[in-house]
Amino acid sequence: MMHGFNPFPVVRADLRRNRLLAWVTVLLVAISVATGIAVISQERALRQGSARAADDFDVLVGAPGSATQLVLTSVYLRPQAIPLLDGDLLAKASTAAGVKYAAPIAFGDNWQGHSIIGTIADFASRGGALAPTQGRIFQKRGEAVVGAGVGLAIGATFSPAHGLHHAQDDEEEHADPAHSAVHYTVVGRLPARHNIWDMAILVPVEDVWRVHGLSLGHDATDVEHIGPPWNPKYLPGVPAIAIKPDSVAGAYRLRGQFRTSRSVALFPAEVLNDLYVTLGNVRDLMSLLVITTQVLVVAAVLMALLVGFLARRRQFAVLRAIGASRIYVFSVVWIEVVLLITGGAAIGALLGWASSTALSYWMQSQIGFEMPVHLGAAEGVLVGGLILAGAMIGTLPAWLVFRRPIAEGLVSG
Amino acid sequence: MNDAGSLQVQDLLFRFPEQTPLLKVSSLQVASGHSLGIRGVSGAGKTTLFHCLAGITPPTAGHIVWGSTDLCALKADALGRWRHQHLGLIFQDFHLVDGLSALDNVLLPAYFDSWRPAEPLRERARELLAAVGIASLDRMAAVLSRGERQRVAFARALLMRPAIVMADEPTASLDPEQRAQVGDLLVTLTRAQGATLIVISHEQELLARMDRCLTLQAGQLQARQQL
Repeated sequence: MMHGFNPFPVVRADLRRNRLLAWVTVLLVAISVATGIAVISQERALRQGSARAADDFDVLVGAPGSATQLVLTSVYLRPQAIPLLDGDLLAKASTAAGVKYAAPIAFGDNWQGHSIIGTIADFASRGGALAPTQGRIFQKRGEAVVGAGVGLAIGATFSPAHGLHHAQDDEEEHADPAHSAVHYTVVGRLPARHNIWDMAILVPVEDVWRVHGLSLGHDATDVEHIGPPWNPKYLPGVPAIAIKPDSVAGAYRLRGQFRTSRSVALFPAEVLNDLYVTLGNVRDLMSLLVITTQVLVVAAVLMALLVGFLARRRQFAVLRAIGASRIYVFSVVWIEVVLLITGGAAIGALLGWASSTALSYWMQSQIGFEMPVHLGAAEGVLVGGLILAGAMIGTLPAWLVFRRPIAEGLVSG
Repeated sequence: MNDAGSLQVQDLLFRFPEQTPLLKVSSLQVASGHSLGIRGVSGAGKTTLFHCLAGITPPTAGHIVWGSTDLCALKADALGRWRHQHLGLIFQDFHLVDGLSALDNVLLPAYFDSWRPAEPLRERARELLAAVGIASLDRMAAVLSRGERQRVAFARALLMRPAIVMADEPTASLDPEQRAQVGDLLVTLTRAQGATLIVISHEQELLARMDRCLTLQAGQLQARQQL
């Protein structure tokens, strides 16, 4: 009477005796899985991270030109020279129907590499939705609100340097008296947004204009006023305007309204979608490479395991000669294959997640927004598929051992 | 005496297709609990006979009846169960599982039909190892000497209290000093258990201790010695 059986002592002994083959197998599978997971999760992280960074920009208006360039410059603060919008369009946008606020995005200066963005208080507080973690939003000229990642304390003062990058030469940085004459005082710190804006400093746009010798957007008698209403006569050109509409319908209407010969209007999400299509194509290509790699790895693993099992055919014959059932020997071989592939897949999943997280951390510093890494269904399918394939492939050597006559195995060398 | 240990062979024939017979045994009887030695030159058919009697290789024709079981009527899985229940096998090259300890090697047949061998069986394994002079139960098979490995193989063969013990050149791989000692153990332990013993060997001293000895010549058994 049979009461079940236990193949694990033999499995354990085999893996122990053939530990080199076992580790090489596990390693190959792990690398293959890790590569797949890293590719899939990075593509997703890039998509989610970039979309999150664009959340604060519903409608973006800029001078006619490249939409992608406008988004990269304004949303991701990638320094590029873009044409300026006529200043009167800012006044027009500010008073347009369905607009909560229309914020100029004016850049050109930095403090120790942190971009100084001239804008309005409503943009800094995202229309009141974003409360400072310390202090308050700027209320008058010469005040600044810093992003969560800027190393300036409340009350600290600083002068801007011209340019979008931190100059290496201090003398050069302070060479412009117009810049060194301006002093900002930090009055507030914004909460972390997990994007490049955490590293930015927001100041009244009038201060940026003044530093660059431009008119201030208001009557000469009203020099201390900041933000709207503007006087179109005194408005200089701006690189971009971020418009917060009061509704989805309003967003579409505004986009149409500012699509003219003098301006382009877009939803950053639209531009991102175009990028995602390209990213998707890259991902498809990478996925194909990953699948090809995995097929090759599985084939190599299968070959190695087959050679290993053939080398041990005498042991399996002996097991059967001393009374092991064929299903017992089948189980030993199958469990060994499944354990190696499952172990490799599990280690590969961990390795893929860890490397993807490390890559995201590095990428974050390069591209300016957080890339959230988490394992999703696609990675589950990858790991599960490989384990399933291993379980099926494992039946092949197991079947060969199952079928082999005992006597043939006993006399084999 | 255990009836499962009595052997009757009738008109046994083994040959590969289109070839002359390798083995032709018209009749062979071994009483339960008795011992039989078989010798023969290389190529005489000893291993084929060994495999046929152990139910490893099905003969081309004839009957091999152990007790009331005709091996020729059993399929592969039933033969496996029969070997597990009634037969202890000993090989020239021991065939232990290197990655297992001495104790686990002895217990190996018990894992074929249970998840964890019952304590009485584990105790029997320890007793058998003590009987064959292996003190370090947890030593890996791979580090045992050849003599120790064969003694562990004896213990493994006897674990399930088989009615039949068959040994193929059990002392051929050992040095002369160990041969006598291991041969003694084989005969003593098998007799103590009342099992039938069939030994294929070239070694005169070991064969002399069998109840009966036959010579295999060109696939045919010839009486050599009747005790």
